[in-house]
Order: sequence, then structure tokens, then C-alpha cells
Amino acid sequence: MRMKLISCEIFYREFCAAIARSVNTIEVEFLTKGLHDVGAPDMLARIQAAVDRVEGSRYHAVLLGYGLCNNGVVGLTAGDTQLVIPRAHDCITLFLGSKERYLDYFQGHPGVFFETTGWLERGESDGELSQLALGKKLGITASFDELTARYGEDNARYLQEELGRLTSHYRQITFIEMGVEPDLSFESRAREKAESRAWKFEKQRGDSGLIQRLVDGPWDESEFLVVPPGRTVAADYNSGIICLSATE
Amino acid sequence: MSTLDELKEVIINGNAPAAKRLTEAALNQGTRPGDFFAGAIIPAMDEVGRRMRECEFFIPEVLIAARAARASTEILKPLLAGDSSVRPAGTVVCGTIKGDLHDIGKNIVAMMLEGAGFRIVDLGVDVGPEKLVDAVRREGADFVALSALLTTTMVNMKGAIEALIAAGLRQQVKVMVGGAPVTESWAQSIGADGYGKDAPAAVELARRFIAEAARGMSAARRGAA
Repeated sequence: MRMKLISCEIFYREFCAAIARSVNTIEVEFLTKGLHDVGAPDMLARIQAAVDRVEGSRYHAVLLGYGLCNNGVVGLTAGDTQLVIPRAHDCITLFLGSKERYLDYFQGHPGVFFETTGWLERGESDGELSQLALGKKLGITASFDELTARYGEDNARYLQEELGRLTSHYRQITFIEMGVEPDLSFESRAREKAESRAWKFEKQRGDSGLIQRLVDGPWDESEFLVVPPGRTVAADYNSGIICLSATE
Repeated sequence: MSTLDELKEVIINGNAPAAKRLTEAALNQGTRPGDFFAGAIIPAMDEVGRRMRECEFFIPEVLIAARAARASTEILKPLLAGDSSVRPAGTVVCGTIKGDLHDIGKNIVAMMLEGAGFRIVDLGVDVGPEKLVDAVRREGADFVALSALLTTTMVNMKGAIEALIAAGLRQQVKVMVGGAPVTESWAQSIGADGYGKDAPAAVELARRFIAEAARGMSAARRGAA
């Protein structure tokens, strides 16, 4: 069957590997990493635009390489083809293979930054998205020099301390090894990042099963939400994470 | 311009050293410590809230304004101890919900509420139900303000409210929730009393609850008479 995958580029290597092995024929459009940083309404608008661009009659399904992603898929409406979305809070569920494993790990490790190949190599630090990012809009990513120029040195010192607290509760970097890495270079970069911040480093073996099942189907109700043509996604926040919006 | 008006201006502009100097000057001129709040600090922070809403102020401006307000209140606090005519608008126990370590939003809410005359008991981050219940009981809280940045942690807000019910404290407090993924409908679904979409909204909400409680009390008094 022919399917269209619209995905965050955070999964670039993982989906390419899964597509290569898939029983289906998958066409893919990757969207820029970091949409969750521009706020839910803008993120939704960009994903909806990508869904609307799909010529539905050509495909058995449109697959989405996104999770709930801070409500960024809430309000997303399927076109004239069914839409399949993993039941996931965010990308870490897809890297770890199940929402249960993510929840279990997250509860035991609240102060963790996750790293994968996509987190390390994708996204742009000075492109269009970085200008739109909420952090930039809220004024919390300014440098010390910018703060000094705007608020004076005394306030800049105070602001640097306060704004630095944004990440001050993080204590660990967990590198998720997905089996798509060419060598140890990604792991080394994640390890160096942890060392430079004096954080703990840990490696977890990822599980690409959920990613593979998204491109292969069939889509088990417990792992995926299948959105019929014309229907809209809502947040559930319970064990299902996402659900169909009530019809009017 | 009176010294209190000047103080208001320097707080809005985030000038902490000037706020300290003007507070001392006004005290020397005979301004009573209790008059600084209605005369300068609260209107200054209300103006900061308004500018934040209008997107004239962003997080850095709010932080430095709150710092300037604190430079003033730190001088006033010891002078106000024992003065029963100056009472906080209410006591707010706040924190980020269990599992969530993102606290800048919560900090801003706490600063704005403090600027509006509320007493803040900040429990910090990753606040579990037991810690919350203990603090509400110990501090005689009127409000609980909880925040979450992630949908994974937001669900724990429900457990926090259930813990307040189980401890018999739910009627004592108004529960306000907020944070990026939180919505009005989520707040309603977990039985919170209100949702604040940003820090000024949280202040507005707390004031509304106080006004409602005051109306309820005066109605009860009329009923008794």
C-alpha cells in the first residue's frame, strides 16, 4: 500500500531505516525540528498545511510522525484520507518504543534531557524557526551583552542568573541509541554535553518498534489513533493521550 | 510628582537601587509603611501586568520590575510586622506539579501575586501531593497555584486536587492551574477553580475569588441579620 508520512525531522534516520524495511511504499515529507517551540497554534497550522497538501486519493493513509507535542496536534483535521497518529506525549515515546516505557522512565528521572541522532544533528540555531521560537519571543534567550545593553549591567547580572534557572533543574543527559548510528560519534557528543554541564550521562537502548509499526500497519488501537477523513484530533490526557474530537 | 509616584515609576522601569532609595526617602518624609502598597507597589505591578498583556513587556522586564518591587518590600516588611491594619490579600501556596522542573512561569506568577499584595509560600518544583497538603494545612492557605509545562506532568494536577479532597482541605482553598499545555477545559475537567492563561490572568483570578468570597460573606451577614 502507498502511504504518505509527514514527520518531524527529529526522526529522520529512524524513519528512513523503517521505510527501507517496510512492506509499504512510503513517501515522506519531513518538517523542521522544533515546531513545539513556536507554540501550539503555529505548530498546528504548519502540520495542517502539510496534511492539506497531500493528494489524498493517492494514498491509503497519511501517517504522522508527531506525538501530542504540547498540544501541537490538537485540532488537526484529516483530509479525504485517514490520518494515523501514534498515541504519544512527544518524540521520546517513539524513541523508547512505547508510552508505558516512557512514562516509567520519566517518572523515575524527572530532570533528564534526551539526546538522539536527530536531536544532535537536526534543526537550525539561527534559521526562521529560531526567530519565531517562544523563548526568543518571551525574551529569555538573550545573551549577557544584549541584556546589558537593554537593562544595564546590574539588571543583566540578575537576569542571567534568573533565566539560567530554566535548565538548572536538569541533572542528566540520556542518549537513546536507536541502532541507526554510524559509529560512536553521536554518543560521544551527548556524553561531552553532559560532562560540560557536570550532569550525569546515561545510555538507553531505544526501540524502533513503534516507528516501524506506524509505517507498516495495522494500527493497534492501543498504540495509534486512526482519524477518519474529515475528523479532528483532540487531547485526551488519560492513557490514550489523544482522541477524536466530538462531532458537532 | 510625589515620592510614591516616583517609586511606582522606578518599579515599572525595573530600577531596584532607585526603588530602595525612594522607599527610604518616603519613609523619612513620614509615609506610613502600610501606604506603600496601595500607593506605589500594587499599581506598579498592575501596570507591569498590563504591559505584559499588551506585549510591551516580556519576561526580562517583568523580572526586573518584580526585583525592584522586592527592593522596596524588603525594607517595609520588618516595619509592618505586628501592624494588623496591613494584612496580605491572601496566602498562596504555589509550585510546579510533581515531575515538572520548569519553574520560570511559576516564578513570574508568584512575583506578580506578591506584587499584588498576596503572601506567597513557594514550594519550588516537583511538588507532590503530600508536600502540597502539608503546606496548605501549615500555612492556612487560601489559594493553591500549580503549574505544568508538559502534558506528561499536567496529569498529576488531578492527583494534587484529589489529595486536597482526601485531606479535607479542598473547601478551604481555591485551586488555580496554568502552564503552556493547560487549558480552561482541562482545569474544569480536574475540578480546579480556575485557569490562568498567563501571570496577569492569575492575579485577576485570585482577586476575583477574593471579591466573590467578600460578597458571599456580606450576603451571609445580611442573611443572619
